[in-house]
Amino acid sequence: MAAAAAPSVSPSPAPAPAPKVASPKAGDRKVVPVDAVEVEVELKLELEEKHVLAVDDSSVDRAVIAKILRSSKYRVTTVESATRALELLALGLLPDVNMIITDYWMPGMTGYELLKHVKESSELREIPVVIMSSENVPNRITRCLEEGAEDFLLKPVRPSDVSRLCSRIR
Amino acid sequence: MEYSNLQRQAASLKKSLFDQGYLDEQFCQIEYLQDEASPNFTEEVVSLFFENSTRLMTNIEQAMEKNPRDFSRWDVNMQQLKGSCSSIGASRMKNECTSFRNICGDENAEGCMRSFQNLKREHGVLRQKLESYFQVLRQAGPAVTAARPRGM
Repeated sequence: MAAAAAPSVSPSPAPAPAPKVASPKAGDRKVVPVDAVEVEVELKLELEEKHVLAVDDSSVDRAVIAKILRSSKYRVTTVESATRALELLALGLLPDVNMIITDYWMPGMTGYELLKHVKESSELREIPVVIMSSENVPNRITRCLEEGAEDFLLKPVRPSDVSRLCSRIR
Repeated sequence: MEYSNLQRQAASLKKSLFDQGYLDEQFCQIEYLQDEASPNFTEEVVSLFFENSTRLMTNIEQAMEKNPRDFSRWDVNMQQLKGSCSSIGASRMKNECTSFRNICGDENAEGCMRSFQNLKREHGVLRQKLESYFQVLRQAGPAVTAARPRGM
């Protein structure tokens, strides 16, 4: 409690000392800020759903992949282009993405190009990226994996394909 | 468990769609996803499919008129359509798309026209059959969506 200062009419020769905060007395609870923050963060990770960003130009495929993921209790954001995905990521609108799953072939930027952008970005490179494709082209698969893709799924994607990705989501 | 007539009818319609090759296993995968949170999921996805496929087929038709012998353009559109078909298990349509793409690869414009006509027909038939199926399902009530025809 601050010491009550008597109002003075004339300026004092020396500035009045700042009101003192009472020092903790025996029995007061101690605040331990660092540990409290760590505990809060841990709880948040456990309670919050993992967030997946799904990128596909096909509305049918977006609906299916989103449902598969939501049925496994993931939070899902769907976008219809790689460009849009990068925009949202760069704008910091998707700060907590745990995984990106993207179609390979899309008009404009491909999923492969999206993968490269993500892996070249210091902020995004830790996010696992999974590529989906309706075509089984071994060169393509190799290239994606070499570029750092977490996995490559053949379309049509099924729930069992996605469940094996679960352990990879950080 | 006793099935009502409508439920039996729905099961029978579905079985014939599979037996005649209109649909494949992927359609079942879509149905398995339907749950309390999305009680009309299958119908919604099928509806998206028809929106998508109608648009793509219009694009292809226009491309065939305005860009004669532009086989790579036709193929790109057909690849997208095939992808959609594959995603919902529209098996006969998917096969016709593959056929079109092969003929396209041979640069056979007339063959492509014929294949495209087949595709249009398959599209129409599938739409009609699925509409009937969903109509009966709706009339039969919620219980039947969980039922699988014997042997599925």
